[in-house]
Amino acid sequence: MDFRPTDGQRLLQTAARDFLARHCPLEAPPGGEPLHQDRGALWSKLGELGWTGLLVPGDLGGSDGTILDVVLLAEEMGRAGLVSPYVASAVVATSLLLGSGTTARKRAVADMALGRRICALAVLEDSGELEPGAMALRGEIGGALDGKKLLVADADLADDLIVAARGSAGVTLFHVERTRPGIALLPMPSMAGERLFEVTFDNVSLSGRDVLGKEGAGWDALDPALRLGALAKSAEMVGAAQRILDLAVEYAKTRVQSGRPIGAFQAIQHACADLARGVESARPLVLHAAWKAQEGLPCETDVALAKSYAGDACLAVARKAHQVFGAIGYCDEHPLHRLHKQIIAARLAYGDTRHHAETIARAIGLA
Amino acid sequence: MIAPAVKDATALDKGRTEMLTFVTMHLGLSADETAFAEEVRAFLRRHPPDTFPPDGMDAGYGSGAVSRAFLRALGAEGYLRMAWPRRFGGEERPMVLKLILLEELALAGAPFGPLSGADQTAEVIIRDGTPYLQSEVLPRIGRGEVTFWQGFSEPGAGSDLLSLTTEARRDGDEYVIRGHKIWSSHAGVADYGLVLARTSREARRSRGLTMLVVANDTPGMDIRPIRSLTGEVYHYEVFLDDVRVPADRMLGREGEGFQALLAGLDTDRFWGRFYKAPALTRLLRQLVEYANATTRGGALLARDAAVRRGLAALAAEIEALRLLFYRVGAMIETGEPVRHESALAKVMADELGQKLTAFAMDLLGPFAPLTEASRWAPLRGIVQHAYLTSLGHTIAGGTSEILRTTVATRGLGLPSER
Repeated sequence: MDFRPTDGQRLLQTAARDFLARHCPLEAPPGGEPLHQDRGALWSKLGELGWTGLLVPGDLGGSDGTILDVVLLAEEMGRAGLVSPYVASAVVATSLLLGSGTTARKRAVADMALGRRICALAVLEDSGELEPGAMALRGEIGGALDGKKLLVADADLADDLIVAARGSAGVTLFHVERTRPGIALLPMPSMAGERLFEVTFDNVSLSGRDVLGKEGAGWDALDPALRLGALAKSAEMVGAAQRILDLAVEYAKTRVQSGRPIGAFQAIQHACADLARGVESARPLVLHAAWKAQEGLPCETDVALAKSYAGDACLAVARKAHQVFGAIGYCDEHPLHRLHKQIIAARLAYGDTRHHAETIARAIGLA
Repeated sequence: MIAPAVKDATALDKGRTEMLTFVTMHLGLSADETAFAEEVRAFLRRHPPDTFPPDGMDAGYGSGAVSRAFLRALGAEGYLRMAWPRRFGGEERPMVLKLILLEELALAGAPFGPLSGADQTAEVIIRDGTPYLQSEVLPRIGRGEVTFWQGFSEPGAGSDLLSLTTEARRDGDEYVIRGHKIWSSHAGVADYGLVLARTSREARRSRGLTMLVVANDTPGMDIRPIRSLTGEVYHYEVFLDDVRVPADRMLGREGEGFQALLAGLDTDRFWGRFYKAPALTRLLRQLVEYANATTRGGALLARDAAVRRGLAALAAEIEALRLLFYRVGAMIETGEPVRHESALAKVMADELGQKLTAFAMDLLGPFAPLTEASRWAPLRGIVQHAYLTSLGHTIAGGTSEILRTTVATRGLGLPSER
């Protein structure tokens, strides 16, 4: 099949680039991300644009898009350096809630589609492993959630949490409001762009209504949803790397040393060529995997290849770009480090390189 | 899909560094394409690559060794002319089938040699060839009867090709060629050379060069082998001592040989390296089999964390490379101008080949350097061979340095160093 963007996809990209350039300038205002300064305003604008409901059917107030649309948008978000709960809430949590099909979940999804609610994902624990065996936090229907989750991104912005818990039936997903008594947040300060939290659950009571999907089948539901998250994060990295390339080329053309633009020196030219290689070779892999996911084809390996490769290639772009920018790239006010840190965070989210490498190792037939 | 308010849908095309907002590529094979892949696999079962002794060594690009018999079998099947126009005996089948053919041949390690070189020559002959080349040489390419070598580089003209000094003097209906060509792959086992020679002195060095098709058995040709670091012969140097060729052996127009070469360079790089990704896939599969069957330190190599992680990362890079080439292929097919994309793809292909073979040498441990002449050689010595030949790949067909400069200046718009 010959893939070219539909008119709608082109419009989505153009609109995204335009909107994000205006509302999320790369030069962050002092005091943090625009989203965190005024969450309501920006997030509801994303809702008005139809982005938070991109995966949501029209009858629930969404915009009937596909994962390929999400990937195109996520790349623009990466390019804009936007750090947000978009992937967790509008992609992973949304697909989980849509999968469960109950009326209450549909209501939550409709609100999320409009940009009125945000849902965070509480999955990782002490081991940091994205495996069902690593889920130790206890949770039984009619009982309570007890334990803690780590590295929960944007927990402070979230209205709800999806929690993977271990009960007698195995791993079950629970969908609970974040303010339920017994839930507490502790910040986990990180050098990367994300805001991460330790979320503790102290005897948080659970009823049957809190179960998301089937009891004991939580990981079966979570696995494909995390794959969508991995795809979106891969695209985000490609976008951030593309922005780094753009900035580096711009800088190489205008920064003059020894009487000529530094971009006229082969050392810089070849470094920039390597940046281009990283970006251009990662993007087709991500689009290919997203297309497979959209078509409902088996894509576990493709997603692992895309996330693993994009993670390594885009991180290399960020690191090499520091050498092109020289001292100015070391400054807080220069955007390079923010894009770099965004790539670091995205590379670790929804399966780090080790995680995806293991999927690939099995797929290529290693015993 | 939503269609939000938008100012300018073409705004995306503005940035000069924005080389790839959208990818045009084959994201999956159609039913016809899948059927063709199966047809090629059936052909390979009828013509097992192992049963064709090589006439020339495998250069490690993925095009396998040169086997004249295998090439003729491909010709007999109609594969070599399937994309040509009907009036030249072709079937006008889509380009993607050629990609599938090359992919299947490389995956099988088939000895199809410089097939794409012949294919590229055929394209130029079809587009711009003299009646002689179209009526006498082209049909033989289609039958797999002839192969070509490139007479471009000279001892004093490597990356700076325009400093070449071989001359072709017009004498009546003939050209008389005098000069010295070098690094011509497979020249000794091919039939014709594509010799780039100066036909007139012009103010601009890039003018006045002409490409001539010279038969190997023409008097005055002295084709000498150059033993390579593998101990085998891949390259030749060719001395041309008043070699007379009829003027209708000219490929393209007189005096515009360099322009034609440049114009074809982007697609040549594509065709010359398209089969690298499947060839590396083949090698990766062999390494997986080796790791699954080899115990070291009391445990399977396949269970070693560094081995798993390393092979997985290489597999991801190979897949990225494959898709990058498909993207460039789609650009060529749809007529989108190729600016720097094939240069970038070649750099990636050849550096990845070096990375994979270096990893493979480590994987094989103390047995790695053994050649196929030793019964102890793992994987019949293919790894050491691929390791050594890969060293030439980042030099042949444009060094990685030249190509990175091309990407930076043509692709990214950085100023020229001069």
